[in-house]
Amino acid sequence: MALFVQAIRGPILLITVGALFALHQANIIEISRSWPLILIVVGVMKLMERLFLPPVPPPFAGGPRP
Amino acid sequence: MRARGPLSGPVVLILVGIVFLIRAISPNFRITDLVARFWPYGLILWGVVAFIEVCIRFLRSAPLPRNGVSGGGWIAVMFLAIFGSSVFQFQRPDNWLRQVGFQSGIEAFGDEHQYPIEEISRSTGTAPHIVFEDFRGDAKISGTDASVVTVTGQKTIGSFSPQDADKANTQSPVEVVTDGNTITIRCHQDRLSSRTSIATNLDVSVPKGASVQASLSHGNFDVSSLSGDIELSGGSIEDVRLDDLSSGFKLDARSTQSVHCSNVKGAIELRGRGSDVELENISGEVTIGGDYTGTISLRAIAKPVHLESMRTQLDARQVNGYIRLERGSLDAKNLVGPVKLSTRSTDVTLAGFTNALDLQVDRGDVELRPESSALGRMDVHTRSGNIELALPPSAKFALNAGTENGGIDNQFGDGLKESSEGRGARLEGSIGNGPDLNLVTQHGSITVRKASGEETAEAQPSSGDSDH
Repeated sequence: MALFVQAIRGPILLITVGALFALHQANIIEISRSWPLILIVVGVMKLMERLFLPPVPPPFAGGPRP
Repeated sequence: MRARGPLSGPVVLILVGIVFLIRAISPNFRITDLVARFWPYGLILWGVVAFIEVCIRFLRSAPLPRNGVSGGGWIAVMFLAIFGSSVFQFQRPDNWLRQVGFQSGIEAFGDEHQYPIEEISRSTGTAPHIVFEDFRGDAKISGTDASVVTVTGQKTIGSFSPQDADKANTQSPVEVVTDGNTITIRCHQDRLSSRTSIATNLDVSVPKGASVQASLSHGNFDVSSLSGDIELSGGSIEDVRLDDLSSGFKLDARSTQSVHCSNVKGAIELRGRGSDVELENISGEVTIGGDYTGTISLRAIAKPVHLESMRTQLDARQVNGYIRLERGSLDAKNLVGPVKLSTRSTDVTLAGFTNALDLQVDRGDVELRPESSALGRMDVHTRSGNIELALPPSAKFALNAGTENGGIDNQFGDGLKESSEGRGARLEGSIGNGPDLNLVTQHGSITVRKASGEETAEAQPSSGDSDH
């Protein structure tokens, strides 16, 4: 599932960028005002990716055990 | 079985093929126009195709790509975005390149060579239909009392050698063809190679009753003293000037730098894209649609006005005074309502309007000074901005004003009750028996004050219509 989320990251971002520029050209909302949405989409995708990733075991600390 | 490559590549190839095929079949089809207008939809389509592809692979348990869009894909997206938005910006009539005076003029094609056009005359009826086939140059058309069409003018050909210019001149004769009541004027510029720069400037006199249909790919258009309809279409028109017309005018061009119409008795309809518009003393209905991004100035319009620009939609029943709309501000005086206005990022000042007002502003201050004799219902809403309403001291009304973030200043005394609500305030109450005035701002202050005698006198319309 994590791989799937990783693979759809690009297409989703492409659709978002395309939609924002389309809205900009249609004079509905300027890209200078709507760009934070790209950050939000990237953030959400990253979050989903981490949620679905299997937990990584903690690295071995090394040194003598107490 | 061999692993399949991505689907988006072939889809893009098919689309590019279709576009070039249309270009080959229809020479008027412009690829740059298509890219400029629709490139964001191309990105969306690409994203959707890539998304569907990933979903199919996932459902078939096939190996998934690490990224739905490769690094090379993102570089292509970047180039498309830069190219698409640059062409889109350049096609705007008020783009900065045009503003600093850069035009692909004749000077870029060597020296200018002038050739006079010998006078051509054709006798006609009193109301012929004149057709200008698509050409580059200026057209000056004036109405006369004679029943004859006369064409003169001159050609300007840009060329590095006089021989080439002479050849281009003989290849592009001006021709006037009569077919019944229709007179067609052809400049034959299409016979020249696209690298030859030519402007055919025509001076045409026609009977007063003539109607005109013209297509201009580049140049100025000037018409005076006609009583037939005028229709103009074309590409990149610089200046359109009309004066003293008894009939209507329609314009639909890819870009028009400026439109000036005065003393027109018929309806005016402007479509397409353009920059400045100036209309004065118009007896017919005025419709400005499409995308006019410069200063729009309307004065003395006797019939309804419907204006739709980048950020603004305005409907008024009549303009006795003026409307001036520029980037960031709309200023109007003596409008006959009902007035309906919705705008974004624009400060609005309306003085001396009558009847109902429906005003929606996204961001911008609102200043209203309605006329005393015909105060109508008002619904005013701004998301962010101050509202100032100046009413005649004797006005009768029922006020309902509220701000969610800001204060209220009331000069009408105890008849209106003020209360505070959180960070905002409300002002409610009636003075006499009058129409409802609803004022709402989400962020901003509200001022309800008495108009000074000077303001009231100033806001009286010169000729009124207030039967609502």
